[in-house]
Amino acid sequence: MRALIGNVEGKGRIYRLDPRAKIISAAALSIICLHSTVPFLFLAGTLSLAVCALARIEARRLLRASKPALPFIAIVFLLHAFSMTGSHLVAFKLGAVRITTEGLLQGGLLAWRFALLLLAGFLLFMTTGPALLTSGLERLLRPMKLVGVSSQDLALMVSLALRFIPVLQEEMETLRDAQAARGARLATGSIAARVRALSGLALPLSFAVFRRCDQLVEAMHARAYDGGPRTDLRELALTREDWVVIIAAGLAVAGSFLV
Amino acid sequence: MILIEDLSHRYEGSLLQALDGLSLCLGEGEYVALIGPNGCGKTTLVKHLNGLLMPTNGTVSVDGIRTSDKGRLAEIRSRVGMIFQNPDHQIVGMTVEDDVAFGPGNLRLPSGEIRERVGRALSAMGLAGYQERHPHSLSGGEKQLLALAGVLAMDPHYVVLDEPTSSLDPASGARVLAMVRGLKERGITIIHVTHHMEEVIGAGRIIVMDKGRIVADDTPSAVFGRAEWLKSLGLAPPQMAELAWLLRRRGVDIGTPLHTLEETADAISALARAAHACRRGEGEA
Repeated sequence: MRALIGNVEGKGRIYRLDPRAKIISAAALSIICLHSTVPFLFLAGTLSLAVCALARIEARRLLRASKPALPFIAIVFLLHAFSMTGSHLVAFKLGAVRITTEGLLQGGLLAWRFALLLLAGFLLFMTTGPALLTSGLERLLRPMKLVGVSSQDLALMVSLALRFIPVLQEEMETLRDAQAARGARLATGSIAARVRALSGLALPLSFAVFRRCDQLVEAMHARAYDGGPRTDLRELALTREDWVVIIAAGLAVAGSFLV
Repeated sequence: MILIEDLSHRYEGSLLQALDGLSLCLGEGEYVALIGPNGCGKTTLVKHLNGLLMPTNGTVSVDGIRTSDKGRLAEIRSRVGMIFQNPDHQIVGMTVEDDVAFGPGNLRLPSGEIRERVGRALSAMGLAGYQERHPHSLSGGEKQLLALAGVLAMDPHYVVLDEPTSSLDPASGARVLAMVRGLKERGITIIHVTHHMEEVIGAGRIIVMDKGRIVADDTPSAVFGRAEWLKSLGLAPPQMAELAWLLRRRGVDIGTPLHTLEETADAISALARAAHACRRGEGEA
């Protein structure tokens, strides 16, 4: 999470696109990943990798970011490979386990879908700063006012959450040190004992969070926050390039349903 | 001008009066220090200045606007900026520029003006070029300067600082204090709450609080001159003021007001030189 968010270094075309255009494209790519047929999937994959190249995102960085998700993708693949039944083209037998080519193909396809879904997210996060991302999200969600949800409040919540992840991590470390200093065994012993010791952190951490919330609310009020509409530092304007991207994304989704 | 009349405050569920019938007038361009032992009501008092707390009794008005006037709270809060003890509790933006833009955004200023104010406030605090940085990557002192920039961007007439250096190391504390003094040159009234009297030697006026009341309101020399009384309240007078007082008790008057190390060193060396000259004079006679 930390490696992913707030790590926008590059400059260039892709980075300069309006965040709304990028959010829409990432959403379109996700829809395509989840339902479309193989040729379309292949096209979407090639296109995403081309965008990666254009934004100069290295493969190494992508691999590092996707590390936590790799076991999940592997499990999805294996489950399919082992459990596919039906008409088997070729079937291997490894003791009681049966592997079919069909299963391998299906598993591979599903794994590819998930990988592409991840890629869509990475592309968005790696090319758009969190502040721009929330600004874009806030504007895209404005129609939600019709059902009584303020997109500005949502955006503020997201940005506060992102702002406080590192702060809470520090708080957690302080608490852990304080408990370790008084003899709590957080890093040794059986897993059950460690989980029990960690659960002892939950209560003090929640208290710390609530206390911090109170102070934060006070500080926000002191800066004239009243929950009403606010204006933003960033003025977002869609350029012709942004429109091209948005329309292309829309057409791609429509096309993936038609083909 | 901030006018406080007969202000009392009692926290819900508490029997004690946190503030007990207090009246005060803070003029334009003043540098006022507010000191007192823990629990004396300093923080409660300053939270009334921008309507974070409402009086149980009495009134507070900022440039003629009562803080009880709910419709004008935003106006009051843009006039009276507030810096809290721990900068980590008051930074809301994901990036430095977003944080400074928070206040002006709440005042619903147009984007162009927000950007201009953000740039101005950041360079005034020596943080130009930090726009895209993440707050958690700043040092404690830089975070407090960022908080100050956030307040400055709202164009305040008054800035309240509640122990702004207590979570900083001495060097960053000094940097923040230098910036605070710089605010005075901009015609901003400073209300500085602190435990460290050394910090407010340069203030024009010192208000001492105890048990929810004002027990002294005078110039620094007059207040620091009463070292024994300050100690009886559980406060630590500036060390040099205490030294002068101890010397006076031993029959050596090095004169008042002497609050800085430099002034005291000058006075003592002058005395020593005089004594030396005197002894030599006796020897020759």
